[in-house]
Amino acid sequence: MKIVRAILAAAVLYFFYAGSAAAVRIEISAPGEQIIPLAITSLLPMGAVQAGVAEEFQQVLENDLDLSGLFDLVDPEAFLGDAQKLTLHSTQVDFGQWRMLGAEVLIKGGYRFEAGKLTVELRLYDVISRRLLTGRRYIGTLADVRRIAHTFADQILLSLTGESGPFNSRIAYISKRTGRKELYLMDVDGHQRLRLTDHRSIVLNPDFSPTRKELIFTSYDKGNPDLYRKEIYTGRESRLSLKPGLNIGGRYSPDGREVALTLSKDKNSELYLLGTDGTIHRRLTNHYGIDVDPSWSPDGHRIAFVSDRRGNPNIFIVDIHTLEVNRLTYAGKYNATPAWSPKGKRIVFARLEGSEFNLFSIRSDGSDERQLTFGPGSKEHPRWSPDGRFLIYSLDRGGEKSIWIMRADGTGARKISSKGGHDTHPAWSARW
Amino acid sequence: MDSSRKQRWQQLQSVFEPGFRRMLLVSFLLHLLLPVLYHTPWFPKKDPVKPPVYRVNLVNKPVKKPQAGRPEAAPVKKKPPKKVVPPKAKPVKPKPIPPKPKPVTVKAKPKPASKPTPRTVSKPEPTSAVSKAQENALQKRLEELRTAQAKKRAEQERKDHLDALRAAVAAESQQVKSPVADAPVGSVTGKGDEIGVDERDYVREFITRQWRLSQYQLATRQLEAVVLLVYSAEGKLRHYRFEEKSGNEIFDSSLLRAILKSKDLGQPLQEQTDFTVIFNLKDMLDRP
Repeated sequence: MKIVRAILAAAVLYFFYAGSAAAVRIEISAPGEQIIPLAITSLLPMGAVQAGVAEEFQQVLENDLDLSGLFDLVDPEAFLGDAQKLTLHSTQVDFGQWRMLGAEVLIKGGYRFEAGKLTVELRLYDVISRRLLTGRRYIGTLADVRRIAHTFADQILLSLTGESGPFNSRIAYISKRTGRKELYLMDVDGHQRLRLTDHRSIVLNPDFSPTRKELIFTSYDKGNPDLYRKEIYTGRESRLSLKPGLNIGGRYSPDGREVALTLSKDKNSELYLLGTDGTIHRRLTNHYGIDVDPSWSPDGHRIAFVSDRRGNPNIFIVDIHTLEVNRLTYAGKYNATPAWSPKGKRIVFARLEGSEFNLFSIRSDGSDERQLTFGPGSKEHPRWSPDGRFLIYSLDRGGEKSIWIMRADGTGARKISSKGGHDTHPAWSARW
Repeated sequence: MDSSRKQRWQQLQSVFEPGFRRMLLVSFLLHLLLPVLYHTPWFPKKDPVKPPVYRVNLVNKPVKKPQAGRPEAAPVKKKPPKKVVPPKAKPVKPKPIPPKPKPVTVKAKPKPASKPTPRTVSKPEPTSAVSKAQENALQKRLEELRTAQAKKRAEQERKDHLDALRAAVAAESQQVKSPVADAPVGSVTGKGDEIGVDERDYVREFITRQWRLSQYQLATRQLEAVVLLVYSAEGKLRHYRFEEKSGNEIFDSSLLRAILKSKDLGQPLQEQTDFTVIFNLKDMLDRP
């Protein structure tokens, strides 16, 4: 009986203790703020002052980081004394000042220009934990300032998100600024424009190789819409597919070993797989409907495409191994130009509504369709950034065609191509 | 009586198998052991996944004295509730109203019989036009007085009724009974003066405000981390410990920043308190 009493007493004591010592449970199911206050100090000279370096660097970096949607830039007007000090070690930085300004992340840096060589030292600090997140030293020429800024912007995204940004990449597009549709190249912010072709006919639908610095595109240079391949640095160009009829919409497979495209050699537009030597590996579709605009899934097993086999043009998906075709979109009367995200989850496409196209995205299983663009103008030819964070597309508004960039959720849209170019069909390269 | 009970017990004992009492005791102890075991760490308890609840609290932002929420649940000393005495209705002294004047009848004075001359027979004196007008005016005035008095009385009654209602409302608001049983102190579901929110809500709100994480920083939203925060009675963070990490470095480092920013709650607590804070992104799951 004594034992029983002791057990009972122990149980009572245990319950009493458990009740009194329990911690208060709190659940926080979303952050209070979804934007990070960032302070970017101006690049300080580590030697002689070189005009324009700090300003250009600042402008490019701010533009990239603003597009990312991650940051709220702290007004430089509010900066205190530490902004004027070149503090490249975390121990030297007066974090208290920055914290007082509400900054959580701080970028500091300096440059040195000697004997035609530009050296830029950059640091990214976490103001709250007072530690260095990343530090880089870039060496180049004065012409590389923009490239250095883009590269460091990618590095910042890598530090703060775990994945590098896409700012140090290129965008290929078709422009009519010479009066003919030619292939051009530019930076993600629209600068450093470069014309790649001089076919003086019609060039269409470029796509970057995922592994090499080369492009494929369709050109009417020889009269027929043939598929061309062009090496960017050497400028070497060759015809990859010159079958009778259409050779259009070429898209490299994720491993770069095959190209999916539309051929109409048999009088009907069908999807085919070509080797990089131009030989046909496989016919993917066999239907009296028109099948165009292929876009690979990132795993390389499926291809989204446009077909009018059920009446109106809609998005379908074909399994390249079983050739089984499944319909993806049902809404809308005209759905076109699908682009599969690099992460594989979503497919973005253009849908005709009234007389204008708008961009939509949908899960690859056909669920969760969302409209991304609104407002006047026709938005077409969407393509993903290599990290899946952004989209580029062409906008036809008021008779002017231009290239625009936005975040994958449809926010932050901005024009990147310059005025008067009549620019369309953008394609985003892999990381350069 | 006792003997009959004993007999009955003996009868029962004869029915029970030998060792029944011991079995009963063992069974009881085993049953007791179950809840004890339940409270040991061998049985980890996970809160059921609750759907996000959106509470819009426009009034009760965290304030300096969050414990001053619902008065009956607040641990602070309660002031004795003011005695609310419903105002007594003022007795209205009705003004004496003159009774309705009887119709004035002018009787003819009987003439002394000694002088029965027909000429002198006095006719009943007819009321003059002036006196009639006076009479009418008087009547009218009386009517007006009566109407005004009735109106005044009705007004007073309405006023009394309103006063009584106000007094009842005031008395009810002073009542300590909450319409929601066991509502936490200062919670929006509780009833009180709503001066502030409770300590737990305050800490949650405070830490939430310090937590900054962009939706563009994460590839997945299925993340959760549990952190133990120990705050002193002065509201200072004594120490913290990650009970569970999310496994995502970006997410976890954002929590670390939030914790570092929450070193000082800016106001004291009632006592040193351990907070187990579960950080997740449930409210961001439906975003693209």
